[in-house]
Amino acid sequence: MVSQKITINNPQGLHMRPAGVFAKGVAQYQSDVNIVFNGKTTNGKSLLNIIGACIKCGSEIEIQCDGPDEEEALAKAIELIESGLGE
Amino acid sequence: MYNGIGASAGIGIGSVVIVKEPNLDYQRVTIKDASAEESRFQAALNATIAKTQAMAEDMRKRVGEKEAEILEGHMLLLMDPEMTGQIVNSIKENLMNAEAAVEQTCNMYRDMFASLDDEMFQQRATDVNDIKTRLLKDLLGVEEVDLGNLPENTILVAEDLTPSMTASLNAENVAGILTEIGGRTSHSAILARALEIPAVLSIPDITNKVAGGDKVVLDGDKGVVYVNPDDSVVAEYTEKRRVFLEEKAALQKFVGKPTETADGHRVELCANIGKPEDAKKVVECDGEGIGLFRTEFLFMDRPQVPTEDEQFDAYKTVAETLGADKPVIIRTLDVGGDKEIPYLNLPKEENPFLGYRAVRLCLNREEDIYRPQLRALLRASAFGDIRIMVPMITCVDELRRVKQILSELMTELDAKEIPYNKDIKVGIMVETPASMIMADAFAAEADFFSIGTNDLTGYTMCADRGNPDVAYLYSAYNPAVIRSIERTIKLGKEGGAIVGMCGEAAADPLLAPLLLAFGMDEFSVSATSILTTRKVISLWTMEEAKAVAEKALTFVTEAEVKAYLESVAKK
Repeated sequence: MVSQKITINNPQGLHMRPAGVFAKGVAQYQSDVNIVFNGKTTNGKSLLNIIGACIKCGSEIEIQCDGPDEEEALAKAIELIESGLGE
Repeated sequence: MYNGIGASAGIGIGSVVIVKEPNLDYQRVTIKDASAEESRFQAALNATIAKTQAMAEDMRKRVGEKEAEILEGHMLLLMDPEMTGQIVNSIKENLMNAEAAVEQTCNMYRDMFASLDDEMFQQRATDVNDIKTRLLKDLLGVEEVDLGNLPENTILVAEDLTPSMTASLNAENVAGILTEIGGRTSHSAILARALEIPAVLSIPDITNKVAGGDKVVLDGDKGVVYVNPDDSVVAEYTEKRRVFLEEKAALQKFVGKPTETADGHRVELCANIGKPEDAKKVVECDGEGIGLFRTEFLFMDRPQVPTEDEQFDAYKTVAETLGADKPVIIRTLDVGGDKEIPYLNLPKEENPFLGYRAVRLCLNREEDIYRPQLRALLRASAFGDIRIMVPMITCVDELRRVKQILSELMTELDAKEIPYNKDIKVGIMVETPASMIMADAFAAEADFFSIGTNDLTGYTMCADRGNPDVAYLYSAYNPAVIRSIERTIKLGKEGGAIVGMCGEAAADPLLAPLLLAFGMDEFSVSATSILTTRKVISLWTMEEAKAVAEKALTFVTEAEVKAYLESVAKK
């Protein structure tokens, strides 16, 4: 498993649009992509669960990827967040 | 008469059509053939996704990109692996029928969203309910209500206006919208405003208080609804609607026009914003710049001070949205003991408005608050005409200290070869009697003034507008406030400063002739007031405005000033 911490900078946090961009972006990988926030683990491929985690602007989250293409999945996840998730 | 939240301006007059969700009752049964039931669910899911996609495309054509995105979000929700996985699991493991499995899973997500502590996130519960209803309709083969074929002048009454209802809605025949739930940021409100349909939301039990065919009059500004009113009320509101529509159409003529008086005296007309994304609205409403960008939001609802980079991004976004030739005045942090920012650890004060706030706080917290903000502003100034405004100034030393810090930061940036605007304008908010009295001294050292009439009125009259016992004193028509404004503009201009105003008074049509006559250079108002303000300014000649100002300055009571300005106001 590989993981990395990152801060969410979207002004309104991970609401529907940015969360959708994230879930869609990591769906193509075989590895599990999880978001750990406030001690809870959320399936990063599930838009509903990301919204349910209520991740607001300025929150630090950890991305954990586990599976055959975990390195690529993690790199993609970080790239998506750093580029502002389409906002 | 009923009251609700006025969510979309305008007057609606028409007959009620109640839209209730269709009957989606079903039996909970234990199924025998799980794989057949799973196929039935998959077929319904595919049908729902296909219909949602068609609605999204239709919405994009008829309403707009932003509204279509809501439905595209629904498609992502419908394809969510966790949700579909859970539904399929309930069918296979618990032998639930598809309807019961859909309902149980969707309700779980709906309740989860509804319990979140943020309105934006809570609103997603509506989206989940909406996709649940559509999935159930497809499973049960229930026909959709035909909203594309409503009679003329329909007042649509619903518990809530779901995005899918709005998508199929033929808005042309809808004269108004009433709902039981939803706030100003709900889908119903956003869509009603986009479609320019007057709407009043959050009226308890309205679907049971009116019947189909009832005559309704609603005011989407004030949030008032009359059911089967007297002819006199209908006549009154018919006239109000005529005036509203006429004014709205007339305002469109001012798009793309310069802001000038009838005799061609130009002024600048900018807008106030609170968030970077508001800048788009300013461009849409034809604002000529940003006269006040409050930076407090960047510091609120978060665990620590925003980083310099976060701030830089926000400031740069606004500058780039407006374009390099448009001024963007950004006010540095304006908080104090009356605003909750836990990580700043501000002490509770007896008199927060006379206490440790705004520039006083920033100059005492240079390292963790002020320098990062000023550095972010300087860096962002490479991307547009950013100007720095310092709030709550009372003495010249404060301005000098801010300029000293800025020059130190510029040296730092030069050493690192980071670009910024070397001629960045630095100004002050004139909102204290002290800065008004010392306006000549400030004008010699500030590039611009922006008169903050909200605080200036409060500090001049020593009255808190939130306190009903003294609120009567809180009025910008007080001669003391009017004279303060006149003095600030006069001394500011004599000293070579650009003088603007970002308080509510800037958008007050009664005060427009005075501000023009005093020689104000820039008006900064809310985005929605831009065209109205441009129109009001166009109605006056400078000669007329000067005559009104001269007379207004002779009165010594608030009531006299107000009555006089009302008597000469132009429509």
